[in-house]
Amino acid sequence: MRSKSFRFALIAPALLVILGTTIYPLVYSLLVSFQRWNLTKSTEPGPFVALENYVRAFGDKNFINSGVVTVKFTVISVSMSIVLGLVIALILNRPGRLADLMKTLLIFPFAMAPALKGFTWRFLLDGSFGFLDRIIDTLFPPMANIAWLASPNWALFWLAVTEVWGWAPYIALVFIGALGTMSTEMVDAAKVDGANSLQLLWHIILPTLTPILLVITLFKTIYSLKMFDQVVTMTGGGPGRATETLNFTVYRTAFANFDMGYASAQAYILVIVQLLFAVFYVRSLLGKGGAK
Amino acid sequence: MNSSRLRKVVGEVANKLGMLCILLFVGFPILWVVLTAFKYHKDARSASFLFTPTLQNFVSIFNPPYDFTPYLWNSLIISIGTVAIAVPLAALAAYAFSRFHFRFKNAIMILLIATQFIAPVVIVIPFFTLYSRLGLMDSRIGLIILYLSFSMPFAVWMIKGFIDALPIEIEEAAQVDGCTPFMVLRHVTFPLIMPGIITSAIFAFIGAWNEFLFAMVTTTTNKTLTVGMMILAYQLEGVQWETMSAVGVIVMIPIFILSLTIRDHFVNGITMGAVK
Repeated sequence: MRSKSFRFALIAPALLVILGTTIYPLVYSLLVSFQRWNLTKSTEPGPFVALENYVRAFGDKNFINSGVVTVKFTVISVSMSIVLGLVIALILNRPGRLADLMKTLLIFPFAMAPALKGFTWRFLLDGSFGFLDRIIDTLFPPMANIAWLASPNWALFWLAVTEVWGWAPYIALVFIGALGTMSTEMVDAAKVDGANSLQLLWHIILPTLTPILLVITLFKTIYSLKMFDQVVTMTGGGPGRATETLNFTVYRTAFANFDMGYASAQAYILVIVQLLFAVFYVRSLLGKGGAK
Repeated sequence: MNSSRLRKVVGEVANKLGMLCILLFVGFPILWVVLTAFKYHKDARSASFLFTPTLQNFVSIFNPPYDFTPYLWNSLIISIGTVAIAVPLAALAAYAFSRFHFRFKNAIMILLIATQFIAPVVIVIPFFTLYSRLGLMDSRIGLIILYLSFSMPFAVWMIKGFIDALPIEIEEAAQVDGCTPFMVLRHVTFPLIMPGIITSAIFAFIGAWNEFLFAMVTTTTNKTLTVGMMILAYQLEGVQWETMSAVGVIVMIPIFILSLTIRDHFVNGITMGAVK
C-alpha cells in the first residue's frame, strides 16, 4: 500500500502537466471545432454547429490549397532529407579524424533554431545581396533573373531546402549509427568476391538500413507536417499563398481572422493526418522494444 | 595491380571532394551569418570575404532603438525556468515508468510520444483564450507552462532510458540496507543517472530557447530572442542583415556549445530511442 502511494506521488506531478498542457487544449480545441466562435465578436464560444466548420474547410479554396502545399512540401523535404542524408552518411562512414570532425559539424544545422534557419536562407537568397543568389547567377546565367522567393515553385523548393539543411545531416548521423552495426566480415567477404561499390551498396548497405529507413521516414514525415517557423521567417506564406502550409493557415485563421471555431476544425484535420503517421511510427517503435 | 591502385586513388579523391561539398552545404550558411555579424552595413551588402571587422552590430543590438537586452533575459529566464520545472518532474515520473508496473502505463507512455508529434498550433489556440482570461498573456510564466508541453514528456522518455540501463540490483541492495524508497531515489538512483539528467536538461533548454510559435502568439512586448528578430526583419528601410546576423549569432552559439556536450546522445535522443 505504501509503495502504491509512492508510485502515485512520483507520477502525479508529471500527469498534471500532461493533463494541463496537452489533454486540456486538445479536448478544448475539439469542442470549439464544433462551435461557431469569432473572437472579435465574443469572448465566449458560440452555439454548437455540428460539423459546419469541417464542411466549410473542405469547401474552402485556401484550405485545400494549403493541404496541397503541405503535401508538396512534405514529399520534397522528406525525400530530399533521406536521399541527401544517405549520401552524406556514405561519404562520412569511415574512420579518421577528418570524418569525425565532419560528423560533429553535422549536429549544428539541426540544433539551430528553425526560425533562424528561415532568416538565414532568406538572407542567402536575397536578390540584391544574397551570397547564394550571386553564386547561382554566376554559375547558371539563365537563372540570373529569378527572384527566388517571389516565384511560387522556387519559394516552396527553398522552404523545403531550409528543412533539408537541418534534417539531412541529422538523418546522416542516424544512418552512420546504423552502419556501425553492419558486420564488417560481410563487407570484406563481398569485396574478396569482387563486388564493386554499387553492388555493395545495393546488396549489403541498403538492406542493413531498410528497417531504420522506414522509422526515420515516418518520423521525418510527422516533423515535416509540423514545420511552421520557417514559413513565417522566410516566406510569410507567399508569394500569394504558394507556401501557406496547413499549420500556417490554421495560424492565420486563428490569429489574423480570430475565427477560433473554424481554426480549431482546421487544426483537428491536421492532427488526424498526423496521428495516422504517428500510429505507424509508434508501431515501428514498439516493434523494436522501445516501450516496455 | 596498377588499375586497382588507380581506383583507390580516384575513390579517395572522390571522397574528399564529397566531404568538401558537405562542409560547404552544412557549414557555409552558418559561417556567412557569423561573418556578416562582424561587418559594417556596406560590407554586409557585398559578397566579399575581405572586410574590416567590427563589433558595432553587437553594440547596437544591446542599445536603443532595437535593444535586445530584455529579450535575451526573457529567453534565458524562460529556458532555465522550463528546465527547472520539467526535468525534476520528469525524473520522478521516469523512475516510476522504468521500475513499476501500473495500469495505463503503456497508454501514458504513448501519449508522451504523441505530445512530440502534435502540431503546436493546435495547443496554442486554447491557451490564447485561456491566457487572455487569466492575464497570463505576455508573461514569462505563461510561456514556461506552454514549454512544459513538449519539454517534460521528452525528458521523461530520455531519463527513463537511463534508468532502464541501471541494474535494479543496486537499488535492491540499498533497500536491504534499510533505505526507504525515497532515500534510494535520492541517494542511489539519481546520482547514478546524473549524466542522463543533465543531458535531458540540455535538450529541454535547447527546445525552449529555439521555440518560436508559442512565443510569437502569446507575447507582445515581453518577446524572446527568436521572436524579437521579427522586428529587424520588417523595417521600412529593408532587412538589416548585419544586425540580424548579430542577433542570430547570439541565438545559435550557446546552442552549438550545448549541443556539442550532448553529442553522443544526439542521435538516439531526438527519436526517443527509436533508432539505436
